[in-house]
Order: sequence, then structure tokens, then C-alpha cells
Amino acid sequence: MIPFEIKDCALLTRMSGLLPAVNLRELRDRVAVCSENVLYHHFCETPLRVSFDNPDYRNDFAVWVKLYLGDRVLAERLGILDPYSFPSFEDLRAEVLDLLDERLSELVMVPWARPGDEFSFMEATTVVFGTGETIPHPRDLAAAIRGMTNGSVYYHFLEARRRPPVGVDDFSAWLGHEGDTYAHYVRALGTIDYYFHTLTHLRADILRALAEAENGP
Amino acid sequence: MTVPLAAYEGIVGSSAVTQLRRIGEKLSGARVVHVNSTREGGGVAEILEWMVPLMRDVGIDASWEVIHGDQRFFEITKSMHNGLQGKEVALAAKDWRIYRDVNEKNMERLRPVLADADIVVIHDPQPAALLGLCPERKGKWIWRAHIDISRPFRPVWKFLRGIVGKYDASIFSMCEFAQQLPHDQFLIPPSIDPLSDKNRELSREELAATRAEFGLDPDRPLLVQVSRFDRFKDPIGVILAYRLVRKVAPVQLVLAGGGATDDPEGKAVLDDVMEAAESDPDIHVLLLPSGAHRTINTLQRLADIVLQKSTREGFGLTVTEALWKGKPVIGGDVGGIRLQVVNHHTGFLVNTPEGAAHRIRFLLHHSDMIRKLGDAGREFVRENFLLTRHLREYLTLFLALRTGSGDRVLYV
Repeated sequence: MIPFEIKDCALLTRMSGLLPAVNLRELRDRVAVCSENVLYHHFCETPLRVSFDNPDYRNDFAVWVKLYLGDRVLAERLGILDPYSFPSFEDLRAEVLDLLDERLSELVMVPWARPGDEFSFMEATTVVFGTGETIPHPRDLAAAIRGMTNGSVYYHFLEARRRPPVGVDDFSAWLGHEGDTYAHYVRALGTIDYYFHTLTHLRADILRALAEAENGP
Repeated sequence: MTVPLAAYEGIVGSSAVTQLRRIGEKLSGARVVHVNSTREGGGVAEILEWMVPLMRDVGIDASWEVIHGDQRFFEITKSMHNGLQGKEVALAAKDWRIYRDVNEKNMERLRPVLADADIVVIHDPQPAALLGLCPERKGKWIWRAHIDISRPFRPVWKFLRGIVGKYDASIFSMCEFAQQLPHDQFLIPPSIDPLSDKNRELSREELAATRAEFGLDPDRPLLVQVSRFDRFKDPIGVILAYRLVRKVAPVQLVLAGGGATDDPEGKAVLDDVMEAAESDPDIHVLLLPSGAHRTINTLQRLADIVLQKSTREGFGLTVTEALWKGKPVIGGDVGGIRLQVVNHHTGFLVNTPEGAAHRIRFLLHHSDMIRKLGDAGREFVRENFLLTRHLREYLTLFLALRTGSGDRVLYV
């Protein structure tokens, strides 16, 4: 079996160049034109960014709408969106715009944020580098994951889903190379509700799933 | 004192240190020069004191240069600094000429180092004009803004924008502090050094000695706010909050800060604070010298609850320091405090003295919450605001700039 090469990554965050949104309508208009990388950042890269691990919602739009526009209804609708469940980021964008348009039609007045509370549109470069370490055999997978950085967990389990084979984490793709031999591990990894996890919890859940697959629940 | 990177393994874990070494290998031998305006004093010098040695530790040929200037130059750059933070200042054409002339003189001295460097990081506005004076530069030049320029006095920003807009990239601490510029603006929050005098672990004896020195009662709850005597830090609001709590709980308050004596505004605020304290023996107003890092460390560690009730704030590293010491923080709902204080997780954000008093009383009634919030705050800082994360982001930025790729994923 080809050893699994462990990579690591770090996020380099930058301003997108879009003007900040000061109200819900501006948010809608910016979401309509921002790049996919901006959407990706605000939906998917939040676990790796400097932030507290337990926000109410995992995407920045829901958090901003709740905290700074005070619209809990829209925050809940946005907060439940799972970006990994959409076939493409254009589909995700369409859904977000639909929710924003729906809410704008429901409200009598467009909600505004106070000066200083505007939504800033950001994007990031994921800098990926090899660690020089490998996992020789699936039986070593759990131990290796236990010792990885959060960057490695993010890269192999979340970021992987945007790379071919799209929607598949790197561990499952590696295990799948051996046909059905390790299908029980792949099935276990497939049960993880990963989007709403912090990286710390995600690591713990991956380890739990692998242990259950090994020993039975 | 230079602390090797390996010394941080016990705090951030060996994987985080190994990660830094791996990234450093990709930059091995790169000549990186930091330039600022002072070797001692101030937050930038504090950062460079650890950052330059740690960059060397991971294999980078890093150095630190300081520009020289006379008193008039630093008066002008102080006005620029104030103007960038929104204060209306009077700077005439001759002042801008002096600013350029001093930068030009420094450029003649620094040219051999800066022209050949692979990466030059210019910190804050004082040395920013060096870029335009070095047309033969070979590397990438980055402007690092440590201050909040979100609402600058326009004439000052208009002048500086013409200078910093020519850089290859800029770095801001938070997106809220940034301005639109014609190059990539990266976001790198500041950090604290857990092994510095201000943050290192202290012995029980040292804590007890400081407690005795300032006459603090070990058997009663202690509230502490560490900050300059500045109206934006709202020390009077802290005293009001203390008085509201004092009606029902025997708390003590320490307001500790420095730098008031040579600052007319600071002196006036200190006078107001003393008046508001009304010689209450349980309000301890401490005017500390600039190097009193261990005293600040001790006071933060002695506190049951730390306050940072600012009405305007930059990043708020005193909050980071308190969280790192396992203290819940009740902070003003402004600036970088929002990034660090998360309601019910690491502390509470408040907008009024009444709000602060309410949260203090809540915590005093829930000592388990004090511990829980303190533990969460310490882990939050470990993950996000220690110098290893800060160093990692600088290194990845250098890699990205050297590669010149604007791709979402960069393989190095």
C-alpha cells in the first residue's frame, strides 16, 4: 500500500478588495459579485482562522447578521447552511442570495450595522507544505491523526473535499485505494457531521469513528 | 534575553514548533530585514525583540534596523500617528519635507542592507518613505501598520497613502483597522510572548510579596484593570462599576497604569481618577514605571476578575495577557476586545458601568464560572494569540510573496 503523505497547512488571510457592507442590502449585493474564494473563506475556512472555537454559527454571514444586524431569524436560516452539501459554490451563492432576498422582502426596513460593525469581505491563501511524515498502514492512521496539527486535520479532512475526488476526504480516498478492505473505516468516517465541528472536536470525532470501526460501537 | 524556539514546545506543543521549522526550511537563508523607529519601548520593539531571533532560529537570515531622527522628526511622526488614528493635526509642507529628508538620510545608511534584502518589513509610518528612496530594491517590501487607521484624519492619510500604496503588500492587525490600498492587505493579529516577564509563570512567594507590597487583602475578591490613564480606557467607569458591586460584596479594585507624568492628558485623567477614588482604601491606583512588567504580571495573576472597560480600543493585548493567566475578562464591546472576549465563554462584553457591575456580581456568585471562563480563555489564547501563531503567519506571508502566486492554495 502506498504510504499516506501527511501535509500541513496554514491560512494567510487578506482583504478581498470589496467594500465592507453596512446593511443587509449591501451584503446581498456584495455576495452576488464576490469571488468563490470569498464565499469559501467565510463558510469553510473559519475553523482555521483566529477566532473563538464555539460561535453560535460556523459561517461569518450568520454571525454578522445576528450580532450586528440583530436579525436572529435570518441568522438561523443562514447558520444551518452546510456549504459542503452544495454541488458547487455557485449553488451555495444562489441559496444565500435567495435567503437574503426573501428576508429583504419580509422586512419593512433594511437593517443597518453601526459604524465600525460593517461586514468585511475577506479571502485567504492556504499555504500547504509537506511534513516529511507518512502513515505506512491504515492501522497507524488513528495514532497519526492524534499527533497532527490542526492544520493537517483541516487540510486532509475538510479542504480535501474541494480537490478531486471532490467531496471526499483524503483519508477515505487513501483507504479506498485498497478496494473494500478498509470499507468499514471509510463508512465510519462518512458518518461524521464535520461542518459544525471545531477542529479539536473534529479530530476527536475522527478518532472515535475509527475506534468504533475497529472494535465495533 | 533571547529565548530559543524549542523553549515554547512545552506550551504550544511539539507539532506547532515542528510546523514552524518546516515552513522555515522553505525560507532557509532568505534575507529579511525589519525596520522600525525604536529599539526599546513600545509594542513594535517588544514584538521585534522576540520575532527576529525566532526567525533566525528557523533558518532565516533576519535582521532588525532602526531609523534615526531628531526630536522634530519624531514630533512630526507622532502627529502623523495621531492623525492616522483620527485626530485632527496640523502638519505643514515643511514638516513633510523634514519627514522625507530624515528618511533619505537613513536610506543612505541602510541602502546596502535594504537594497539586497529578499523581504523588507517596514513597521508603522516613521520609516515608510524608505521604499520610494530605494529604486534599486530587489526584494518584496511590506508595510506593517500596527495602528488603527480605519478613520484617519484625511490629509495625513492622503499623504501617507501615496507612499504606502507603492509597497508590495501591507499587514493590518484586524480587518476593521484597514484601509483600501492598491495591493494585497494581509491580516495578522498581534500576540503575546508566554515566556516574557509580563506573562511567565510566577512563584507563590512573588505573588504574596506583591500582594503585601500594595496592601491587598488575600481574603477578598480583587478586580484589576491594567491600562494607561486614558479616557478611552474608562477608568472612571470602572470605579463606578466597583462602587455598584461594593454595595453588596467586599471587593477591592486595582487600577494600574503608566506613562501619565509626561503626558498632560494622562495627568488630567489620573487626577480625575484620584478624585473619583475619594481616598477609598480599597481602590488602589498604581502609577507604574514603563518597565514594570513583572508587577503587571503579578497583579493580573492576583486578580479574580480582570476588567478592560474601554470605550475605544486597538487590539487590547492586556486582555490577551489576562486570558492567558486564566482570568475571565469583562471588557468594553469595542475593537479587538470583541475578538477575544466571547460572552459566557471567556468573559463578558459590556457597554456601561452598570453592565460591568452586573457581570462582576454574576461571576462573584458563580466561582465555578470564573474557573471555567478562565480555563477557556487560556486555551483560546494558546491556540490563537501566542507568538508562534504570529510567527507562522509572517513566514507563510513571506512564502506567498516570494512565490508570487495569487492562487487560493499554494503548495510549497
